[in-house]
Amino acid sequence: MRLFIYLSEILGRTVQDSQGKTLGKLCDVSMFLTEEVFPRAEGLVVKRGILAGKHAFIHIDNIKSLGKIISLKVGEENVRFQSDPIKPEFSLCRDVLDQQVVDTDDQKVVRVNDVHLLNVDNQLYLGHVDVGLRGIVRRLGWTSFVDSVVKFFSLNSPYLKEEELISWKNSQVLTIGRLRNVLRSDVARQKLSKIPATELADIMEDLDIFERASLFKTFSTDLQRKVFADMANHEKEELIDQLTDREAGNLLENIPADEATDLLNNLPKDKVRHLMRFIHSETSKQLRKLLGYKQDTAGGLMTTEYLCLKQDALVRDAMQLIKDNTEYPGNIFFIYIVDDQNRLVGTTSLRRFINVDENTPVVETRYLSETFVRTDDEMEEVALLLEKYKFSSIPVLNEEDVIEGVITSDDVMEELISLTWKKYKDQL
Amino acid sequence: MKKLFEKIRNSAPVRNFLLFLAVMGPGIITANVDNDAGGIATYSLAGAHFGYMLLWSLIPITLALIVVQEMCARMAVATGKGLADLIRENYGVKVTFYLMFALFFVNLTNVMAEFAGIAVSLEIFHISKFFSVPLSAFFVWVIVVKGTYKSVEKIFLFACLFYVAYIISGFIAKPDWYEVFQQTLSPKINWNIGYVVMLVGVIGTTIAPWMQFYLQSSIVEKGITPEEYKHLRLDVVGGCVIAPVVAFFIVVACAATLFKAGVTIESAQDAAIALKPLAGRYASWLFAFGLFNASIFAASILPLSTSYSICEGMGWDAGVDKRFEEAPQFFWLYATMIVIGAGAVLIPRFPLLGIMYFSQVGNGILLPFILIFMLSLINNKDIMGEFTNNKILNIITWATVVIIIGLTLVMVVFTFIH
Repeated sequence: MRLFIYLSEILGRTVQDSQGKTLGKLCDVSMFLTEEVFPRAEGLVVKRGILAGKHAFIHIDNIKSLGKIISLKVGEENVRFQSDPIKPEFSLCRDVLDQQVVDTDDQKVVRVNDVHLLNVDNQLYLGHVDVGLRGIVRRLGWTSFVDSVVKFFSLNSPYLKEEELISWKNSQVLTIGRLRNVLRSDVARQKLSKIPATELADIMEDLDIFERASLFKTFSTDLQRKVFADMANHEKEELIDQLTDREAGNLLENIPADEATDLLNNLPKDKVRHLMRFIHSETSKQLRKLLGYKQDTAGGLMTTEYLCLKQDALVRDAMQLIKDNTEYPGNIFFIYIVDDQNRLVGTTSLRRFINVDENTPVVETRYLSETFVRTDDEMEEVALLLEKYKFSSIPVLNEEDVIEGVITSDDVMEELISLTWKKYKDQL
Repeated sequence: MKKLFEKIRNSAPVRNFLLFLAVMGPGIITANVDNDAGGIATYSLAGAHFGYMLLWSLIPITLALIVVQEMCARMAVATGKGLADLIRENYGVKVTFYLMFALFFVNLTNVMAEFAGIAVSLEIFHISKFFSVPLSAFFVWVIVVKGTYKSVEKIFLFACLFYVAYIISGFIAKPDWYEVFQQTLSPKINWNIGYVVMLVGVIGTTIAPWMQFYLQSSIVEKGITPEEYKHLRLDVVGGCVIAPVVAFFIVVACAATLFKAGVTIESAQDAAIALKPLAGRYASWLFAFGLFNASIFAASILPLSTSYSICEGMGWDAGVDKRFEEAPQFFWLYATMIVIGAGAVLIPRFPLLGIMYFSQVGNGILLPFILIFMLSLINNKDIMGEFTNNKILNIITWATVVIIIGLTLVMVVFTFIH
């Protein structure tokens, strides 16, 4: 027996008991669902009869040899056939063969044409998946015919030698048992952690929405946030639909507030109410407020996350504030100085105080002219101001001059780009 | 004022209507492509050669069409996968390969029919097919590969209003409405080979195999969620009613003009006579315009949809936005369909009307096999969850399968006897 065999070669082989009596044909291989890198076979599923037929499960330890005929160590009396289908937790024919897997090395989604098994002492291990043309030809049973035709035309055709095998170490199944349940194993996480977030977003595009959700759920919170940011708007909505309210709530809490409001704005009102229950009360308070503004006004564009200091703060505090927030993905170069009622006193930026003595009050470094917008200002106005002053962010004030949030240039840019796109598309 | 608009926009019926508009599309588009060159030819022949004798069949066909298309839509929503994907994942590569092989050839004859439609329609304007067909093939290639298809689609759809001409013409021709209703409701069936082949053709052109793949994929691509499903169903069912209604009037118009005059259709000029009551001496122009639009609309969709389905089933990369090295199989398939589809039409003495008709009979023969897979998939709880079929839908679909297989067998037997 060779060390490596293809699943397609052993499927359909006759299975005989210890007396040499034929029991049926091999129809599936069930695997242990463990955290091991190369899963081991748990047993064989044997089928007898035509159409639905009857099935029996045979433990891998009861197998004597896996030759042209699979012979067992046990007699017929120890094999129990049943009419209900056998549903293993994880099986090769149902969960791997013909299914889509993520190739974590080449970072793309591929379809499995055949499975390459490692055979040691009658134990089978899942070694590789075959995603190449040879795999399809083998499954069709045309290998020798196609080989001779290809050889006739070109002896050195790459088709004859090239096996497109992907190590199981580098492939990740997306759903098990079609029940769309989540793969929360550490192995999955480890395999996927090698792929950069932007690539993951591309991979997700190739999946159906259920696989997408199940893959997404295996990500860490941090990765979820990054991948989510790279997704298109309608993809985000679809995904939110597939997550449970709790999961969606967690996610919304982890993304910047303005992105979250954009998303919530496009969801049905009922859904938003449900989600709000699962969002941490502080965040949900902010989100509710943001949701009150129209989408294309300053209030709708702004985020409630920004850096601010009280009037009596020193430059030293400002430096510290920036150092403490280097992890924050948004703009951290602008600091807003406010009074006790949160009214804007002035704006300063890293550029203004980086060369100033640490003990100077930060107020002294503020810009001379006050630049701000009101919550109900139109987006175009915001864009004009940002461009005029070459600022990367601008504060948003309400009627009482209290700072409500800030708008960063990339938020405006995003809106403008999508507007331009729409116009462009309408023209087509 | 703004408040008022907001209020109107958020009220339930308006909101529902807006939602409907948003998801509308896949069903209506599929239905309009359904009346392609093959469709127009088959219905015209049915009316011209058999009068009102085939009208009755459109009622059960409509019912079957609604059931079958709704099943596709439901599968798309429940699984988020295309039909070819589902077949591959549940029945393995062997079955998928042979099925895709058959689909490829049947659809290839359909593509030939579309190019034949282009050739025939433009010949009415005295444009040689050696000029019109390669140019149209190039046009189709460009709009699809350059990604401008989506905007051209609107023009195609708008031009589909042409079918109204058949409805008006059908009325002006003053058919014997009593006979029309009588034949529709209590038909006298005439069992001979020509009739049976025509029946298979009418079924095959109305419920074409490619439609199932195309509809399911376009819904998946649109990303419609289970909540939006009831709006989508309206779109799909609406489309399934429009297509046979148009077919009905094509048959009536042809029967009231051609059949009555005893004209057998031997060229497109003959088929155009059906529009005479409406358009007078411009009938052939009107007919040519409609046929051309239908043909080129379907010619833009069919090769693309077929290549997508096959690549999906075989697990090959696909997409017009990919480079050739990334998706070679896809581009080969696509190019083959267009080149052979258009090329075959250029062969001298190629039976242009014949291919338009017999491609639809091919559809009819392949259809039951696709339906069997769909039935098996849609009743699988592991795949469909709560979206499985109910008993009535199963009975209707199984009946469709059995009837078409029965008709196909009768057709084969007749052919051997003669």
